[in-house]
Amino acid sequence: MEALGYFLTPWLDLKLLLLVAAGTCSGVYIGAIPGLSVTMAVSILIGFTFTWDVYPALCLMVGIFMGGVYGGSRTAILLNIPGAPSAIATALDGYPLAQKGLAGEAIGISTVMSFVGGLIGIAVLALAAPMVSDFALTFQPRDFMLLAILGILLVGSLSGESLIKGIFCGAMGLLIGTVGMDPLTAEERFTFGFTQLWGGISFIAVMIGMFGLSEALSQLHHIDKTAIKQEISRVVPSWASVRKYLPLSLQTSSIGVIIGALPGTGGDIAALMAYDHAKRITKNPEVPFGEGAKEGLVAPETANNSAVGGAFIPMLTLGIPGDAVTAIMIGALYIHGLNPGPMLMVDQPQMFWFITGALVLANIFMLIFGLTGIRIFTKIVEMPRTILIPLILLLSIVGAYAVNNSITDVYWMLGFGVLGYFMKIYGYQLGPVILGVILSRLLDENWRRAIISEQGSPAGMFRGILTSPLSLVLLSAVILIFVSNTPLWKRWRSRAKSDPATQEVTSMDDKG
Amino acid sequence: MHDKRKRSSGELAFNAGLFIVSLILLWQAYAISGFEALSSPGALPMAVAFTMVISSGLILLDNFRTPNRDSTRFMLDILPPVVIVMMLMIAGYAVFLVPLGFLPTSMIFLSGSIIYLRSGGIGFALTVSLVSLTCIYIIFRLIFTVLMPPGIVPEAEILAAISRIFGGGS
Repeated sequence: MEALGYFLTPWLDLKLLLLVAAGTCSGVYIGAIPGLSVTMAVSILIGFTFTWDVYPALCLMVGIFMGGVYGGSRTAILLNIPGAPSAIATALDGYPLAQKGLAGEAIGISTVMSFVGGLIGIAVLALAAPMVSDFALTFQPRDFMLLAILGILLVGSLSGESLIKGIFCGAMGLLIGTVGMDPLTAEERFTFGFTQLWGGISFIAVMIGMFGLSEALSQLHHIDKTAIKQEISRVVPSWASVRKYLPLSLQTSSIGVIIGALPGTGGDIAALMAYDHAKRITKNPEVPFGEGAKEGLVAPETANNSAVGGAFIPMLTLGIPGDAVTAIMIGALYIHGLNPGPMLMVDQPQMFWFITGALVLANIFMLIFGLTGIRIFTKIVEMPRTILIPLILLLSIVGAYAVNNSITDVYWMLGFGVLGYFMKIYGYQLGPVILGVILSRLLDENWRRAIISEQGSPAGMFRGILTSPLSLVLLSAVILIFVSNTPLWKRWRSRAKSDPATQEVTSMDDKG
Repeated sequence: MHDKRKRSSGELAFNAGLFIVSLILLWQAYAISGFEALSSPGALPMAVAFTMVISSGLILLDNFRTPNRDSTRFMLDILPPVVIVMMLMIAGYAVFLVPLGFLPTSMIFLSGSIIYLRSGGIGFALTVSLVSLTCIYIIFRLIFTVLMPPGIVPEAEILAAISRIFGGGS
């Protein structure tokens, strides 16, 4: 009953309700404007909501997050530019539909299905998170250390074309996180004698620099591109078409929530797997896949939105982010004095139910804003970059300054922005840097606590890992994920695929 | 833009820079507590700095061995004049933010950069900047209550005067 009260708090307080609505509305538009991303928006926004109470700040950020994930599909459908990696699969059939003049219908069905997927994801979050959290209370420092390593290994899936560059970026993020006074011994680390560095580098400055400034500078390369005008007709889909695709959406939502909850896999992989699933189970689509099949639109859209609820499970219960966006959300929670992890459910259960309530509300607003205001939407999406980029630059500066009212943070933001710009240009992914910054404290503290708890004996710590079933499972997961990211594994997999004997077994399995 | 199999203009120098910085950071990490203990404050910094040295070294080596250059030109494709100018503008904005204050610096920055990026249209740029700045000020300064440097503008006095008018002089 108490949980229900916390759950309904954002629904019953008009100010909080309006903030969720404003956040979701902005998220939908931000996610849909080419050049803006939900990662950029949330990282810049943290600076502005820093002085707020935690509840209003969470309402706004949850809204932007939920709206932004959905908004990314708009540009995928209209312009064939996925607003986020999770919308890559959406473009496969969404854009052909828009080319046929069915953009309104595509947006309508994707909105309704995103809503269905989002609700299922949140329901699973509400059911599973308390259980996971209870279980995680039995974790020892060594288990948290292994979890942090598991989180860091996500660089494998965030590295893009080069794993080694991903490893460099992850290590760089971890190192940035260690700058300042050591929290356990108050010893100076990488301060170079500057007292300004005692408190460390503001990770908000790093985030805004890497995702706001560097992205805006990169967009300057395409400043001359003119906005594409789109004609959108009817958006609200018919009940018959919703009913037709509902069974498929329930299946792909399950895929989305499971994949979203696994560390290292997020909405992008969930959407691609759901697309593949839809392709395999739809025997006779009205239009072939890749040419505008609605099943090809429904599957990824439900999966990437249900993955949001799934991703919140490890994020809130273990403090492990699944991707750059969830890493930034963890950063936002830290800033507001919350400590995502198993103790969150014990110390502040109201916070968990509040976030869940805000997520459901944001999902409803996503449906409302997704199906209305399409005329204003097309106007905003067509906003020229010559105006948009100076505004992003200005907001980046103001956001970095606002956290501590410190011009030093602005200089850090500029430094990381320029570094991030060159890193992007030369094929480095910036997601692992943020992942490293966020996980640095978890890894550093628990690594040292794990050794100290064994009287400073690393051998004792490893013995502890090997004799505890939980630690052993986590260690196996770490080894498995590490091996699966190595080129050796990929070579073995491709050889196994091309092996005729293996192919025969696979085809027999399919038939059976 | 980036092709893994080909070397872009300036890429080798950038990777070499990252390698050198990684070496300096490894030296600094060693200086924290040396090889004192695995639970010492310098243990993780040394481990990650070492990872940075190894990975950046491998990237540099791989890049050095790549024989083909792509068609990129540094001042055209990597760091075109538009990016340099905007970098300088944003740096100038940061430098003058505190002494001049948020409102005048933002107005100059916004209108200046829009005029530059659109190659003209002073009236349009000034109008757009004024409207955007008013919106930003209302949303962030008044609603979000973000404190921004007032600089030469007596912002507190102006806000107090406005609130006196709307508050009926109370």
